[in-house]
Amino acid sequence: MVTIQRLLLRLEFWFAPLLLLVPIIVSVVFLLEWYTKGFINGSSEYDSELLFSLLLIVGNLVFDIPFVRSIRTLKKKQ
Amino acid sequence: MLFSEMNAKDTLKTTKQKMAKYQAEFLEQINAIEVDAHWFRRVFHTFAASFLFYYLLPDEEWINVIKIIVPIIIVFCMVVIEYRRLRGSLDHQRFFGLRSYEKKQPASYLYFGIAVLLLFLLFPQQIAIPCILCASFTDPIIGETRYHLGKKKAYAIGFIMSLLFFLITWYRADWWILILVSLVGAAGALIGETKKLRFVDDDFMIQMLPALLLLLLWQGFMAFGVNILPPTIILPI
Repeated sequence: MVTIQRLLLRLEFWFAPLLLLVPIIVSVVFLLEWYTKGFINGSSEYDSELLFSLLLIVGNLVFDIPFVRSIRTLKKKQ
Repeated sequence: MLFSEMNAKDTLKTTKQKMAKYQAEFLEQINAIEVDAHWFRRVFHTFAASFLFYYLLPDEEWINVIKIIVPIIIVFCMVVIEYRRLRGSLDHQRFFGLRSYEKKQPASYLYFGIAVLLLFLLFPQQIAIPCILCASFTDPIIGETRYHLGKKKAYAIGFIMSLLFFLITWYRADWWILILVSLVGAAGALIGETKKLRFVDDDFMIQMLPALLLLLLWQGFMAFGVNILPPTIILPI
């Protein structure tokens, strides 16, 4: 059982940066798209990029925080 | 005689205590794994919303070819991994976050991947985007609120969330199309999530059912010469 737990901890540490950072990066790309092509040029065609950017960042953070907490708790237990 | 009887009792008592201690530790470890796997699965879902980046990729000939080939290769790799896991060549314990019923059937991430692949290749982005968002956010939100608020409230929240995703994606359409599409799409997503099928995972159904319903709706209106599809919502870089 302990072996499984160590294994999963290792797996999570491998995946965690990917799971946490990629949505944030994608969200920033959407935001930049909206800002450079939509906001600066005064075009409303890119408003949806802003919406998706906010949705990505908020939606991910809501679940990322308890996920990071759970990893930290498990690490302490180890 | 009396001495040996006492000794046996002591041994039995010590063994019982050791077993109780072991059981407590064992349960603690199981709980730790369950809690962890639970959040891991949730974050995997929300991470999938990043796939929307696909629609930001430039609209050039060679990139369009990559847009087709790369998702197919990724899903093919997932199929190979799952095949090997089910055959026993890959240890099940190496796959963190799998549910117990997934030991003898393809794991949900494969269904998720196949559904996203089909949406990317066969559906217009106006239909694909809200379906991916439903799988990314509605599914974990329903799963999370179900524990705290009960099934009915969780499904109501899930329906409203899905409705919101369709409203966001179709906001450029006429008001009656917006309402119709949002209701049909959200209902499809909710049915796809709640109706548990034996051989098809809900991660597949939550995406494909609303997508198919909207495809039928779109093509149905097209037959009468009405195109209900709004302009593309994510423009390539």
